[in-house]
Amino acid sequence: MSPDRRLATIVVAFAALFLLNASVYTLSEWEQVVITQFGRPVGSPVNTAGLHFKVPFIQMVRRLDKRILNWDGYPNQIPTKDKKYIVVDTTARWRIINPLLFIQTVQTESGARLRLDGILDAVTRDTISNHNLVEAVRNSNAILERVRKKSEAQKTQELQPGSEEEEVTGEVEGIAVGREALSGIIIEKARAGLKEFGIEIIDVQLRRIAYEASVEAKVYERMISERQRIAQKIRSVGLGEQAKIQGKTNKDLQGIESEAYRKVQSIKGEADAKAIRIYAQAMNADPSFYEFVRTLEAYRKAIPAGSTLILSTDNKFLELMRKR
Amino acid sequence: MPQSSDDPAEEIINMLRTLSAKLKTDFSGQGLMVVVAAVFGAGLLFSSVYTVEPSEQAVILRFGRYVSTEAPGLHFKLPLAIDQAIKVKTKVILQEEFGFRSSGEVGSRTDYSNKSFKEESLTLTGDLNVANVEWIVQYQISDPKKYLFNAREVLKNLRDVSQSVLRRVVGDRIVNEVLTTGRVEIAEEAHRLTQEVLDRYDIGIRIVTVKLQDVNPPESVRPAFNEVNAAKQEQEQAINQAEQGYNKVIPEASGNAEKSIRDAQGYATAAVNRASGDAARFRFMLEAYRAAPAVTRTRLYLESMEELYGRFKTLTIVDKGVQGLLPVFSSPQTPSPAAEGSR
Repeated sequence: MSPDRRLATIVVAFAALFLLNASVYTLSEWEQVVITQFGRPVGSPVNTAGLHFKVPFIQMVRRLDKRILNWDGYPNQIPTKDKKYIVVDTTARWRIINPLLFIQTVQTESGARLRLDGILDAVTRDTISNHNLVEAVRNSNAILERVRKKSEAQKTQELQPGSEEEEVTGEVEGIAVGREALSGIIIEKARAGLKEFGIEIIDVQLRRIAYEASVEAKVYERMISERQRIAQKIRSVGLGEQAKIQGKTNKDLQGIESEAYRKVQSIKGEADAKAIRIYAQAMNADPSFYEFVRTLEAYRKAIPAGSTLILSTDNKFLELMRKR
Repeated sequence: MPQSSDDPAEEIINMLRTLSAKLKTDFSGQGLMVVVAAVFGAGLLFSSVYTVEPSEQAVILRFGRYVSTEAPGLHFKLPLAIDQAIKVKTKVILQEEFGFRSSGEVGSRTDYSNKSFKEESLTLTGDLNVANVEWIVQYQISDPKKYLFNAREVLKNLRDVSQSVLRRVVGDRIVNEVLTTGRVEIAEEAHRLTQEVLDRYDIGIRIVTVKLQDVNPPESVRPAFNEVNAAKQEQEQAINQAEQGYNKVIPEASGNAEKSIRDAQGYATAAVNRASGDAARFRFMLEAYRAAPAVTRTRLYLESMEELYGRFKTLTIVDKGVQGLLPVFSSPQTPSPAAEGSR
């Protein structure tokens, strides 16, 4: 081979490679493409992964993602239906389902994001401001059920120490829609609008709902006063409980003491009665002798030693003295 | 494709021309071919071998199309860009933190300021109070294929969903449950619901666990919550004091009552016994008396008087015939004639 021919071979080989490169493209599992010819979409979009061919140079490949994509909303200050100012931070997942339509209407992902911003922000704002705050916070009325049971239990029983804090403070009103259903409403409303851009909205999550700064301070104030009220209640329940126990102490004490007194008296009385009967039975055999003997005994017992006695000689004891 | 493809092509041709001219003078044509082939071969070999670590799995794509998922070990693939091996750590348990960052990570995560930690953790409860909830989610990539092919930012999805779900769960509870008894329940429910949502996305993530970390009232409200705790202590103290008083008084009173009853029982026994004794004595005396009533009566009287009069310190005897009390004769100390007489 002459040098010129070799050179020619190399040039042809490179040209062939170049041509091949321009007419072949690979597609990843997470991609889908629209083939455009002078900017005009040709044929149906390709979304099977692998090696594909196209007409070199005049056909262009517009790659689009096939996967689930994220959309992040700016935290929005929205007044709810019950005039509470809250910050709502939404996030959504979406997917390009109609690449052709997508290319024609929004062209690029950043174009799509602009549309998403517009539609989702507006829909979220509408939905939130058409409902009360609780609808966006709570998902079910299970909490009401629990609160109802608790308050019933509190009604039937007396106030138990330790249970005061369980009591529900703040506002617990029933909900008709709920957080998840609100997301559903937002999705439903956004879906129709986004369909014409070849976008499918998979879900919208209310990632964060918070009080707006000025409202937050007021909420905190309310929380503080609530806690103080609860603390006060706990204390007074404690004092009440203390008084109850003190009362019970007095009651039990009186009971014990009077019961003992009653028993003592009846035991003694019973014994006295028995003694009376025994004496009476014995003495009745000869009452006058009893009187005589008992009188003498009484003298002995009743008159202490060292007393002074003035006697008349009339005395029976001195009878003999007198006669002498 | 680039429109300016003519210029670079010409340049390459020129370069090759000068290169071949140069090489021709230095090497024989065959020698050059061998070197080029060797280098090319080494490159091919190098790009067709790959290792998968024990904690990983590799997803193989051929021209972008999924071929297989490979286990850990040494593997071969088609060289160059034909086959592509994407390694995914499927065995590792990964962790995401919400409302806080472990100290080791704080510096490296510049996209989250302290403020946004707080924003992450401040959560509205069902009674429209606010609680500061920090939590972690541990997860694993359960299906590398789905993980790679079904969502672009899997981690972000996980974070968004976890936040949304946790708020939903907390939103169905009152602030006290959130701060105290409800923690485990909340974590379990968040775990279940997060997994449900992620399964709907079908992105190959398995939640291993959701754990609540610090759950506190917001900073400025905290003293009020502490006050409640203090009040609880006070309540307990008041009750304990009262109980203590009760325990001090009642057992003693019971003991005293018991004692007085026993005393009464003693009294009863004594009274009855005394009566019985007296009665027995009387009966015996009566029996003996009846044998000689007059004598016995006199004897008993005299004996009693004898004993009785001996006790008196002063005994004054007044004659019946004497008017008034004087004249008297008394017998202090010295035995009076009467006393002497009676003895």
